[in-house]
Amino acid sequence: MREPTRTTTLRYHQVAIGDELSDLTLPITATVIVSGAIASRDYQDVHHDRDLAVERGSEDIFMNILTSNGYVGRFVTDWAGPEALIQRVDIRLGAPNYPGDTMVMTGRVKEKSDGIITVELVGKNGLGNHVTGTVDLRLPQ
Amino acid sequence: MSVDFKVVSHFASDLRDRAAIAGIGATEFSKDSGRSEMRLAVEAVTAALEDAGLEPADVDGYSVFSMDNNPAIEVNRQIGGGDLRFFGRVHYGGGAACATVLQAAMAVATGVANTVVCYRAMNERSMQRFGAGVQDRRPMPTAESAHFGWYAPYGLLTPASWVAMSARRYMHEYGATSEDFGRVSVADRKHAATNPAAWFYQQPISLEDHQRSRWIIDPLRLLDCCQESDGAVAVVVTSAERARDLRQPPAMIRAAAQGASHEQQMMTGFYADRITGLPEMGLVAQQLYATAGLTPDDIQTAIIYDHFTPFVLIQLEEFGFCKKGEAKDFIRDGNIELGGRLPINTHGGQLGEAYIHGMNGINEAVRQVRGTAVNPVKDVEHVVVTAGTGVPTSGLILGRD
Amino acid sequence: MKKSETPLLDQMRQLTGAPVGEPNTARDPVNQAMIRHWCDAVDDRNPVYTDPEFAEKSVHGGIVAPPTMLQAWTMPGLMSREEREARAPRGPSVLRLLDEAGFTSVVATNCTQAYKRYLRPGDLLTVSHSIEAVSDEKKTALGVGHFVTQLTCYRDQNGEEVATMRFRLLKFRPTERSAGAERRGAPKRSRPVPSINHDNRFFWDGVQAGRLLIQRCFCGKLRHPPGPMCPVCRSLEWEAAEACGRGTVYSYVVAHHPPIPPFEYPNLIVLVELEEGVRIVSNLVDIEPEEVEIGMAVRARFDEVEPDRILLQFERAKG
Ligand SMILES: [Zn+2]
Repeated sequence: MREPTRTTTLRYHQVAIGDELSDLTLPITATVIVSGAIASRDYQDVHHDRDLAVERGSEDIFMNILTSNGYVGRFVTDWAGPEALIQRVDIRLGAPNYPGDTMVMTGRVKEKSDGIITVELVGKNGLGNHVTGTVDLRLPQ
Repeated sequence: MSVDFKVVSHFASDLRDRAAIAGIGATEFSKDSGRSEMRLAVEAVTAALEDAGLEPADVDGYSVFSMDNNPAIEVNRQIGGGDLRFFGRVHYGGGAACATVLQAAMAVATGVANTVVCYRAMNERSMQRFGAGVQDRRPMPTAESAHFGWYAPYGLLTPASWVAMSARRYMHEYGATSEDFGRVSVADRKHAATNPAAWFYQQPISLEDHQRSRWIIDPLRLLDCCQESDGAVAVVVTSAERARDLRQPPAMIRAAAQGASHEQQMMTGFYADRITGLPEMGLVAQQLYATAGLTPDDIQTAIIYDHFTPFVLIQLEEFGFCKKGEAKDFIRDGNIELGGRLPINTHGGQLGEAYIHGMNGINEAVRQVRGTAVNPVKDVEHVVVTAGTGVPTSGLILGRD
Repeated sequence: MKKSETPLLDQMRQLTGAPVGEPNTARDPVNQAMIRHWCDAVDDRNPVYTDPEFAEKSVHGGIVAPPTMLQAWTMPGLMSREEREARAPRGPSVLRLLDEAGFTSVVATNCTQAYKRYLRPGDLLTVSHSIEAVSDEKKTALGVGHFVTQLTCYRDQNGEEVATMRFRLLKFRPTERSAGAERRGAPKRSRPVPSINHDNRFFWDGVQAGRLLIQRCFCGKLRHPPGPMCPVCRSLEWEAAEACGRGTVYSYVVAHHPPIPPFEYPNLIVLVELEEGVRIVSNLVDIEPEEVEIGMAVRARFDEVEPDRILLQFERAKG
């Protein structure tokens, strides 16, 4: 089993509005895209078959939305810790993640109230913003 | 017709009659010159020197547009000019036109140079169309590039569109109509129709033609927009004394001025309290009248920069030829056509003759002073010339010696 | 907008709220194996998903599934085309109506998931879908289309709702240009991008986040377009104040020529005087040019004019 990123969890009072999350740099490879698609049981050809993806007008295979959601979830708990509870994920989808690109995820704490913090995040690749959005996290008091 | 226009005397400069335009030159005006801009430049410059009766070796200064693609040293080398003691460039598009003459006049009045050439040479139709706007500019983190970022993402990309935004507000506040703008075009084309050098020679239009022309950017129609042209124009500026000894009767530079308002923008003056004026042109007018010791009543004809018709109305107001908001009435009465109170753009203007960034208008003003214009105005003493509008600008009053 | 009063929109709106297809139960209960695949794929090393000892002592008291894995539990898996067609819901549906009306292309724009509780191994999900909303016809950079919001409810084996998902997609009629570009795989021409520098970055970042920000000096002076120094007090310090978005049309133009891609013509461009007192240029949308008047009340909105590109736009203020 891979070593956990962190085993402790940020407390609500330890977090301030404006705090920045640790960046996540993700080299996008065909393996990243295909393994994400299959782990989410998404067998649409544009996520694993390059020739068919190109035939359908795409540049290459591209990451499916379920996988993007997975990276958003990982990004926030890598920073906040394993016992941070994800309440809500609200994302806007943009530039596709193609193999050979790199996505850099950055975020900051936007709001804080009643034990819940709202993180604002962007996953940016060479074409623009792949994903932008917010995540609500409940942190231990 | 006097409109209680108050001239502010403290705007007077010492430039009155210190320098003169001694020679003018131009190429033909076309839509495809078939030769390089540099060649157009040297043709116009040598024609102007020939007109003045000067040799290229006499030239010791240049004053040109920063937008011109032909460096003065290149032009000077091509024509076999002399060593240069003065060379300046003026920024802000067509607003530079009369300013090149202002700066040349300052140079010769102070002895910095003796013979300064101003020119503008462009294949603006066949090579680089201004009407296409700023659509293909690569974003750079500079102030000038960032400026267009407030407009380009919405499709407000062309000079016509920037002027149209101000024009709509002007129409709203003063009740001017598309037909009122059209009357400027009709007058210009009437004058161009009898000017063999004009692109629209023998092609007058009616107000109905104007009203039938298609929208470019409502409220501007096709016939509200100047041409896009290939061509070059040059003038030679020297001291008044020297000019008197040359081949042509001098067109005295009675006054020359630049102006930029404290809230100046580049074509997009949308943010001042009121946007229905051209305060930079008002500032130019004040300086010109004060320096020349003249009032609007002393002006017999004018070259009013006409890239787009609405700003002709506003300039007539800024120069005190009529009251604010009343240009529509002034032009409805035929005042701007030959035979009227103030014939404008007797060569056909940039709507009728050619769009050479205002420089062809300076040549026409010189011809009116000399009495050699194809559409002469009777008893001309003083001619007003204006430069690009919506930008930091400039103006001249030329007069007989 | 008059155009929206179409039978198509009426038909679609009658279908909103009604279920789409039959509820569908997951093929497998939530299970450790699939969780592990998922965590490997996205390299999520959170031990509450995969380390029973850690999970036991955690706030969860045992293994839980990653919340963002929600959709995976009810995905159909690998299917032949015949199977896929056999599963497709019968009867009228909003998406089918749009297909039939020529809005054949689709692009996902937003996904919002809200979780009521973490899922545990053994939970068996049942999913049901409905169409929550259909927008008026919108002009977008991709083409004219409708935004469709689909609401998906996830219930557990006890019928309790454990999560919801709102999925927003654009069904559009590809423009010839965009269709051609798509076929060739060529990048589509985008609207000119602004030049971003130290003096204006806040504004464009604000727009991307759906906020209209105006530079405000600490002396109170509002400045637009922004710049580094306050012309009143010469301060170099400033803050970004959020405008309320209400304003009036100060002037406007209707662009017809030259047609510059990707703009659609006629293109309505307005100079808006914001309630705060500064003016700003933008587009006015969802209105016919002849309906515009100087002085008309408008309000800001933020449209995704092309994928990943939010732009300030204005629309007529309601009421
Ligand atoms: Zn201040």
